[in-house]
Amino acid sequence: MKVVTGVVGNDVHVVANRLIDISLQERGFEVFNLGVNTYLEEFIDAVIETDADVLLVSSLNGEAEGWCRDLGILKSKYDFSDVVFMIGGNLGVGEMNAEELGPKYRNYGFDLVFHQVDLNEGLDQLENYLKERK
Amino acid sequence: MKKPNKLLIDIGSTYFKICENGHISHYFRNFDKNIFDDLTGKCSETLKKYAKEDIHICSSANGGLSTLIIGLTNSFSLKYAINIAFNSGINIIDTVHYLEIEKFTPPKEMIDVVIVVGGIDGGKGVFDERLPNYLKEVNYQNIVYVGNNTNRSFLQEQVPGIKILDNIISSRLQMHEEELKTYLTDLYQADIMGKEDIKHFYDITSNQIYSTPYIVNRSLPHLSDKMNVADPFILIDIGGATTDIHYSRDLVKDNIITDSEYDRLVFKKLGVYKSRESLVFSAKNNEFVYELLNFLNVTENILEERSDKATKVLMQLSIFLVLYKMSKHHKAYIELELEKLNSIVLTGGITKVLSFDEINEIILFFYKKILHFHHAPAILLDSNYEIWSYGMVTPKEQP
Repeated sequence: MKVVTGVVGNDVHVVANRLIDISLQERGFEVFNLGVNTYLEEFIDAVIETDADVLLVSSLNGEAEGWCRDLGILKSKYDFSDVVFMIGGNLGVGEMNAEELGPKYRNYGFDLVFHQVDLNEGLDQLENYLKERK
Repeated sequence: MKKPNKLLIDIGSTYFKICENGHISHYFRNFDKNIFDDLTGKCSETLKKYAKEDIHICSSANGGLSTLIIGLTNSFSLKYAINIAFNSGINIIDTVHYLEIEKFTPPKEMIDVVIVVGGIDGGKGVFDERLPNYLKEVNYQNIVYVGNNTNRSFLQEQVPGIKILDNIISSRLQMHEEELKTYLTDLYQADIMGKEDIKHFYDITSNQIYSTPYIVNRSLPHLSDKMNVADPFILIDIGGATTDIHYSRDLVKDNIITDSEYDRLVFKKLGVYKSRESLVFSAKNNEFVYELLNFLNVTENILEERSDKATKVLMQLSIFLVLYKMSKHHKAYIELELEKLNSIVLTGGITKVLSFDEINEIILFFYKKILHFHHAPAILLDSNYEIWSYGMVTPKEQP
């Protein structure tokens, strides 16, 4: 299965990005890593070019809240019905209510949302989700 | 007698430039003669001294090739194809985002080559009958497909004469440029051979004739050996019809991984002669231009005048607009980090018209007004117009 991944927005947390890349490869995924400082449009374009099954966006500095709010608009321009949209990392900034983050990101268009969840636990849930979709 | 080294010739639309043992001579074109007769008439004694294999020619006299690029996404297919086309010396007429192809009106002018690209190999097919339907409305001479391998047989059946090359998008989503670049530079050669007034250049050289912008781009890694230029730099070539920019890749933040240290970009409507009207239009629509005209102590009436003074002002405006269009204030194909720039090199006709001070004041105005800097990068003028000669032969062979 093909996964496009990278860190969204003005975020240079490259170590986390490498760990995600390695962990996905260890689990047998074909990974297209766009690296840090990636715009949402680039993620979407990479999914189209590679015919990917999963888009895994990560955010460590919490700016994803702003960078990802146009996901719904971008998804409406192309048929992404077979693609799983997942986001994980530190998804909020400042004094936010963590419980509101899941609904907010799902409302943006993400299928799976993991705020401050261990990487392996998040990837386990991704694999379960993919199995259930079959 | 010692055999002379190499003879380098640049055939421009208004001048011939000849480089012999490092010395450059300029010859103004006689437009009553065809280009070949004009060259051989003016330089017959020089040409006689050299064997065909020692004469190297580049040319912009056929106007360059035009291309229409149809790509799947802006961030990959179109961006990669634009990069390769510009660096091959091609002028881009238009780009079409394939997912919204119905919204694009086919260009009216004849296109030398259409480039179609999209998807990595092994993915599902991305092109369907919408592509041949669109192409039926386009006047083109050549068409090349450099996209995913899944669509190849469909396109071979549906698009007569389509040339299939390796995908320019690698399986790692990176740019693979060599095959398309070679195809486009060879196409340039074929275009010259098909044109009656310039095909005879092959009577005096046995080497491939390249487009001048391609050669200028190739010269840039050697520029610091010849001029006091510091990386990162840009080279601006403002001509009569188009404006070429060559820039260090250090100035761009993007997803392209390439061996090329310098890329090229063309603004096809910012020339001061053939595209004067669109330059004036572009100037009038820029919010800072009236302040700039005031700074230059002229009024907007100068834009309608035909005088030496008006030409100078238009060239100064052209420099300003080029910098503006590449800056973060203008969303375009690329955005250069002009704050990092160490040198600006100017070549082409502009160096004959504007003095160093006139160029300096406009660049300083841009840096102060737009970027809020108190200083500007070092400015270098290629007044003798010799940069092209550094890219004609390998450094070892240079005179």
